[in-house]
Amino acid sequence: MLQNYLKIALRNLWRNKAFSAINILGLAIGMATCLMIMLFVQNELSYDRYNEKADHIVRVVFRGSIQGQKIKEANVMPPVAQTLQTEYPEVQAATRIQESGTPRISYGDKSFKEGKVAMVDSNFFQVFTIPLLQGDPKTALVQPYTVVLSKAMAQKYFGAANPVGKVLTFKEWNHSCKVTGVFDKVPANSHFHFDVFASLSSMPDAKSSSWMTSNYFTYLVLPAGYDYKVLEAKLPQVVEKYLGPQLHQALGMSFTQFRQKGNDLGLYLQPLTDIHLRSDFTGNLEAGGDVRYVYILGSIAVFMLLIACINFMNLSTAGASKRAREVGVRKVLGSLQGQLVGQFLLESILLTLVALLLAVVLVTMALPVFNDLAQKQLTFDLLATWWLLPSLALFGVLVGLLAGSYPAFFLSSFQPVAVLKGKFTSGKGSLGLRSGLVVFQFCISIILMVCTLVVYQQLEYIQNKKLGYDKDHVLVLPEAWLLGKHAETFRQQLLQDPRVVSVSTSGYLPAGPSYSNNFLLSTDDNPTQLLKVLRYEVDPQYIPTLGIQVAVGRNFSRRYSTDSTAVILNETAAKTFGWNKNDLGHTLSSSDNQGRKVTYHVIGVVKDFHFKSLHEPISPLIMTLSTTAGAVIVKAKGADLANLVTSLKEQWNKFSAEDSFSYSFLDERFMQTYEAERRLGRILYLFAGLTVLVACLGLFGLATFTAEQRTKEIGIRKVLGASIPNIVSLLSKDFLKLVIIANVVAWPLAWWAMHRWLQDFAYRVSLSWWVFALVGVVAVLIALITVSAQAVRAAASNPIKNLRVN
Amino acid sequence: MIKIENLEKVYRTEEVETKALNKVSLTVNEGEFVAIMGPSGCGKSTLLNIIGLLDEPDGGSLKFAGTEIAHYTERKRADLRKRNLGFVFQSFNLIDELTVVENVELPLIYLGVSAAERKEKVDKVLEKMQIMHRRNHFPQQLSGGQQQRVAVARAVINSPRLILADEPTGNLDSSNGNEVMELLTELNEAGTTIIMVTHSEHDARYAHRVIRLLDGEVVMENVHKQFTA
Repeated sequence: MLQNYLKIALRNLWRNKAFSAINILGLAIGMATCLMIMLFVQNELSYDRYNEKADHIVRVVFRGSIQGQKIKEANVMPPVAQTLQTEYPEVQAATRIQESGTPRISYGDKSFKEGKVAMVDSNFFQVFTIPLLQGDPKTALVQPYTVVLSKAMAQKYFGAANPVGKVLTFKEWNHSCKVTGVFDKVPANSHFHFDVFASLSSMPDAKSSSWMTSNYFTYLVLPAGYDYKVLEAKLPQVVEKYLGPQLHQALGMSFTQFRQKGNDLGLYLQPLTDIHLRSDFTGNLEAGGDVRYVYILGSIAVFMLLIACINFMNLSTAGASKRAREVGVRKVLGSLQGQLVGQFLLESILLTLVALLLAVVLVTMALPVFNDLAQKQLTFDLLATWWLLPSLALFGVLVGLLAGSYPAFFLSSFQPVAVLKGKFTSGKGSLGLRSGLVVFQFCISIILMVCTLVVYQQLEYIQNKKLGYDKDHVLVLPEAWLLGKHAETFRQQLLQDPRVVSVSTSGYLPAGPSYSNNFLLSTDDNPTQLLKVLRYEVDPQYIPTLGIQVAVGRNFSRRYSTDSTAVILNETAAKTFGWNKNDLGHTLSSSDNQGRKVTYHVIGVVKDFHFKSLHEPISPLIMTLSTTAGAVIVKAKGADLANLVTSLKEQWNKFSAEDSFSYSFLDERFMQTYEAERRLGRILYLFAGLTVLVACLGLFGLATFTAEQRTKEIGIRKVLGASIPNIVSLLSKDFLKLVIIANVVAWPLAWWAMHRWLQDFAYRVSLSWWVFALVGVVAVLIALITVSAQAVRAAASNPIKNLRVN
Repeated sequence: MIKIENLEKVYRTEEVETKALNKVSLTVNEGEFVAIMGPSGCGKSTLLNIIGLLDEPDGGSLKFAGTEIAHYTERKRADLRKRNLGFVFQSFNLIDELTVVENVELPLIYLGVSAAERKEKVDKVLEKMQIMHRRNHFPQQLSGGQQQRVAVARAVINSPRLILADEPTGNLDSSNGNEVMELLTELNEAGTTIIMVTHSEHDARYAHRVIRLLDGEVVMENVHKQFTA
């Protein structure tokens, strides 16, 4: 029986080659898309799960608000790890990570600047599952000035020689470190990727008891099955007990008073497996994923698969009249409906498996492109992952069942009396259902098209937004601190170059990675009220170099010695302080590192500029004068930037070691801020195109079906004098209706989705009606083109032939 | 073999109600060859479909070999069809995607007969129908007469007790038509009961008895040949 089914299935596929091809292609595209997204989602969800204790490791985080300013830090104070371990027996272990910037490491004549260096507590390798190839995970980092290297790093410095016992020089630390272990590498799906782990015991700061700084990523191991919320509920006591007194000393008010003024600071716990997708903290170890994009892509995958299945249903039932006789004969010969359902399901599973093969090929070909779009290194190796092949087969069977169920019941329900007498007409009811399916497909396509357009509009808006500073032709050399005391000389040298307009040395940058400095102050109007603002330490060239507009007052100048305590506000700060912006001469006071009171006098107000991403509203900012160089910011005349970079590098190398030069363009740093949105835009663009393509295949199927259904009607109309255009418009009209309905359904959904997405931007485009109208018109046009081919064919056929058959 | 009493079938559309069969009663004996005649729309195909369990009556009784089968479940009807009934249609109704052999063996597949036994039976019946040389052809590659011989072969492969033929010569020229009628006669002589719907007086003469229907009622019965059970 099975053999008979397979035979007839294959022969049918072969006989209707065009139909089969469309069907298989549509299904393959749908499945390939779905597979790729599933790979992506699986990868996103797998983050940090490589750790054996993944389910019971938590990270301690720091949240609160001071004067309405939200604080969300992923790193906490140095003593938190030790304190929690001592106070609470349920904390089985606590370990810390501190990033180490970009130290220069040397061995013999080999010397490199390394970007992925961390200092960790000695129990690090017992908390995280990163097996050591050499060395003892328990003791490797106990001694100060010991390091554990990745295999690649060890090879880089020592070649084939045994790295353990060798000594590396860390220039910035003025110290040598002994290699005590080697690990393979940190898995790709980890929320951190370091190549060098150095012992934290080398750092005096690691033993600091200060609760006023926070720069340690702190992880706790809890008992398996323990609800972390229980421990989290106890943390306020710890904060009050340890942070309270230190806060009192610094601010002169008790923690309770501090809280009564509407402020709050607290420690919270975050499960390790939430870090990658659910972190909205400032200062994560690495930019994580976003769970919302996982949802968005996941729903695209589901919809894409549904659309492909709907296609299959439409195309299979469209070809139903061809199979009707077979169904009739089989029933007459004693087949039960159940057996026929089985036969058709088997057929659809077979077709799905063929499509799946094609999908696998498509995924293999398209994965590099998708990886590029999604910034991932996903792999699709059927042989390397044992569960991939069986789960693919299961996937194929499930899709086959999903896609084949409706056609199977539809086809197998034909009554033999009707079909064998040649009186076959498949019911109008099924046409209704099929129309519904087409509406659904177009709905999804339209929603995706609208979303794509809006995302691009917003990106365009971001790109062209007046930012209040000039990001074009600005070069940033981020590591000017390497120049030390030569920074000013270097700056002077650069000014000699006719291509350079101006040069500033400040690490505070309005786009991309920047120094950041929260500052608590009080104003002369209200000395007891503490306010949190952002403080930029700049030089007098900063404002002109970035083209920031001074609204009132003046820029800093070295000519006034009093400018060392001068301050320039942005308009938002002036407004927050309750000052009229023309109101210069106010003073602000704050305490310095030693707790001494410092008074600043306001000399100017600059127009607001976007020093944060457009996701966030502009907040109060003050600028003070500083002499230390963070980064070098070079405003060029434009044009020949490549050559300028070369000569900048030559200049740089006169002051600093070889290969320490690095640079970026401010406008590129700006665009990198919106990488997630740009990625979403590109991905949406791709998938919107694919859904439209697959939906058109489905529409084509329905058009064919209707044309076939209505051949008799068309014949009669033609005999009675209808012209070909009459018939074409008759047939197309129905589809037009479907696409219009799809638009009506899709618009509010698309509006809602995009409205929510745009909420994430403090500065955003408004949703304009023409986007919806444009997409509507495009959808109608695409549908018309798809349908008209079939309509013309049906209309042009010979009426006598059609009537005789019926 | 078939005993029908007061059989009724009504077709309803939204506004019109048509009585296709109005209290039809008749008996067909085991081994008999009966022709049903009448003008278009007289209800003869409806009658045949009800006897063939492809359609359900609205009233009356239908007995097959003494068992009431008028309201059998779908499963029982399918079972009875595949064990006891063979069908021959005007439009042959072969499956285009299957070869001659595959078409003919289909009923045996539904009966769960083994492949070896199927081959033996199919070869035998194809031999008998003189279509052996075309065994691996597809229906479209055969003439109308050949196609109908294949259809007959398929109808008899499960050795049914009753063959239902719906205008079996309607799409054939006269010589091919005669061949098919000869085949049916041979089968009848070998003991198979046959009920045939036809328009052709010529074909009806092959039957023992002709039942004439008009507007859903039996109006006349002619006995051509004496039938002795």
